[in-house]
Amino acid sequence: MILLEQNNQIISEILEQKFSNVKEGGQPDKVNVNFCDFDGVYYLLSNPNGDKSKIRLSIALKFFKELQQHGADTLLQREYGSLLVTPEPQFNVTLEFDLNAIPNDYSEILRKASMLKRNCFASVFEKYFEFQEAGQEGQKRAVINYREDETMYIEAKPDRVTVIFSTLFKDPDDVIIGKVFLQEFREGRKASQTAPSVLYSLGEPPMELRDQPGARVGDNVGYITFILFPRHTNKKTRDNTIDLIHTFRDYLHYHIKCSKGYLHSRMRAKTSDFLKVLNRARPEVKMEKKTFSGRTFLAS
Amino acid sequence: MAGRLPACVIDCGTGYTKLGYAGNTEPQFIMPSAIAVREHGGRFAPEKGRIDDLDFFIGDEALSPAASNYSVKYPIRHGIVEDWDLMERFWEQCIFKYLRAEPEDHYFLLTEPPLNTPENREYTAEIMFETFNVPGLYIAVQAVLALAASWQSRGVDQRSLTGLVVDSGDGVTHVIPVAEGYVIGSCIKHIPIAGRDITYFIQSLLRERESGIPSEQTYEVAKAVKEQYCYVCPDILKEFIKYDTDGAKWIKTYQGVNKITKKDFSCEVGYERFLGPEIFFHPEFANADFTTPISEIIDKVIQQCPIDVRRGLYENIVLSGGSTMFKDFGRRMQRDIKRLADARIQLSETLSGGHLKAKPIEVQVVSHKMQRYAVWFGGSMLASTPEFYQVSHTKAEYMEKGPSICRHNPVFGALT
Repeated sequence: MILLEQNNQIISEILEQKFSNVKEGGQPDKVNVNFCDFDGVYYLLSNPNGDKSKIRLSIALKFFKELQQHGADTLLQREYGSLLVTPEPQFNVTLEFDLNAIPNDYSEILRKASMLKRNCFASVFEKYFEFQEAGQEGQKRAVINYREDETMYIEAKPDRVTVIFSTLFKDPDDVIIGKVFLQEFREGRKASQTAPSVLYSLGEPPMELRDQPGARVGDNVGYITFILFPRHTNKKTRDNTIDLIHTFRDYLHYHIKCSKGYLHSRMRAKTSDFLKVLNRARPEVKMEKKTFSGRTFLAS
Repeated sequence: MAGRLPACVIDCGTGYTKLGYAGNTEPQFIMPSAIAVREHGGRFAPEKGRIDDLDFFIGDEALSPAASNYSVKYPIRHGIVEDWDLMERFWEQCIFKYLRAEPEDHYFLLTEPPLNTPENREYTAEIMFETFNVPGLYIAVQAVLALAASWQSRGVDQRSLTGLVVDSGDGVTHVIPVAEGYVIGSCIKHIPIAGRDITYFIQSLLRERESGIPSEQTYEVAKAVKEQYCYVCPDILKEFIKYDTDGAKWIKTYQGVNKITKKDFSCEVGYERFLGPEIFFHPEFANADFTTPISEIIDKVIQQCPIDVRRGLYENIVLSGGSTMFKDFGRRMQRDIKRLADARIQLSETLSGGHLKAKPIEVQVVSHKMQRYAVWFGGSMLASTPEFYQVSHTKAEYMEKGPSICRHNPVFGALT
């Protein structure tokens, strides 16, 4: 698995099971499951007021207010329409499925439901991609604190959209592995002409953010700048771009962890090699050796 | 969601891995503990300058046709991790693909079998803290979690961590005595009869009698019969008479579809309804080498334990695992063990010439709804208590002292 998946498997599996159960004429049963996703997203699947014929999927994002400023509500309305209901307390978005009114082909609903987090994120990207297309300049930069201590900045220019991620490496080793990765991303354009250009800086924010108050500085902070050209932001490729870029931070950290895993398995292999060498080097104990019949060989 | 994200609970068994978030009653994923990797000459021989360390599948995908060019491996043998390289990659996908959790944000609760070595705990800690940067880790013993899972069926004042766990899965059944949260390792017994043996036994019964079942489907049919119709009876002889006199009431019909011809078939389900689970109590039906009934083994295990915990063990016999789900399994076991215990007291009374009167032994077998995933459920329950965060080993502690901190995981949760 090189790319992280966009959809949430837990949502699709549980709903699939509940929907197919009802379609096969089974009695709907109680649901109460809480689970998470990347970026501190928290979900709850439940029955509203104990009504087993309805299932509610609620999502809580810490930064939903910031997304709302960029039109998250309109986008969710467009994607989910009648499924949307008033959010449950402590949650930001709630979808409700009526098990008695599920169409026979529910794969589309499943797909949409499992993309809930992605769609919450998508609005801000779509908005700025629109700005770029319309050639509007001078729009305020969008700031999304998508995790505690980590922020995403988006800015539109007539010829490009700049997306800047700040990320925090909790482990000193991660800083180094992360740096190697980011270097590779910068080189990515050599391999593929269509790739967006990527800049990175460690420790301090890039030039674009010099005027941004609250941009973090520190040894373990990294900034990654993506410059998306119209090729990436046009209507056809837009969805794919959003899919990929909104999980970028998790993607980076996933790969850092995988590389550490790989290094560890190399280390384990090397250690067992060394142990073999050491065992071979053990001096032979001098002792009298006897044959089966009791005779001895004398060292001469 | 009070600030903190729920902990991740991963229970890796020999056959199946159960994973999910704490606070739920069922694991979100149950999958075979299998990993399919590419094989080539040297383990790390790169192909065309690429490293294919991410090219693997786990769980159901590992056994699916998509992984047909890969070789399937099981990194866990007899409950103990054998191949740490594979295990590390297995966890990688567990976390990032299935749970979709950023491991830096969640505490983790992992399970280990009784008699796991402290070194293995250190390896686990190394992987969890160094590769995944988890903020906190707790490694719990499966049997203790199974005990904790039985709490919800009883009063708050009865939450004890002393008890005997009978864990019967697909491959093997274990009888594990636990005193105050610590496993009495020297007294653990294994019984070579479990779910799969029951299925084989039912399969052979069906095969002898029913001719309508397609031969390549007999195993699946037997498994379905076992799961849907089997129960434990108090007395086989009476049960046989019941079936012979009033067959219509007891004999069921199983409906199935032939996978190849897509035609319906049906077969009668008769004596196997109670004979299947009966092999726990009469192993000689199915296995000529092993003939000790489960109740006798349990009694023997308790008698081997230190004398001061024996009563506690008799009072709290906890079932866990899918093969203990048969109706009335607990009741039958309770009766049989009670008989053995009473007979022993009787004997000692007669031997003493009637001078000594022993307090009768109370035997209680606890059945509850969460039996199937008891271990996972116990973990999920404990990991959602505030106490869990106090007893977990934190990353800071690990960096300060090293992996040896995980050798010991304090017992918690009981009212002490």
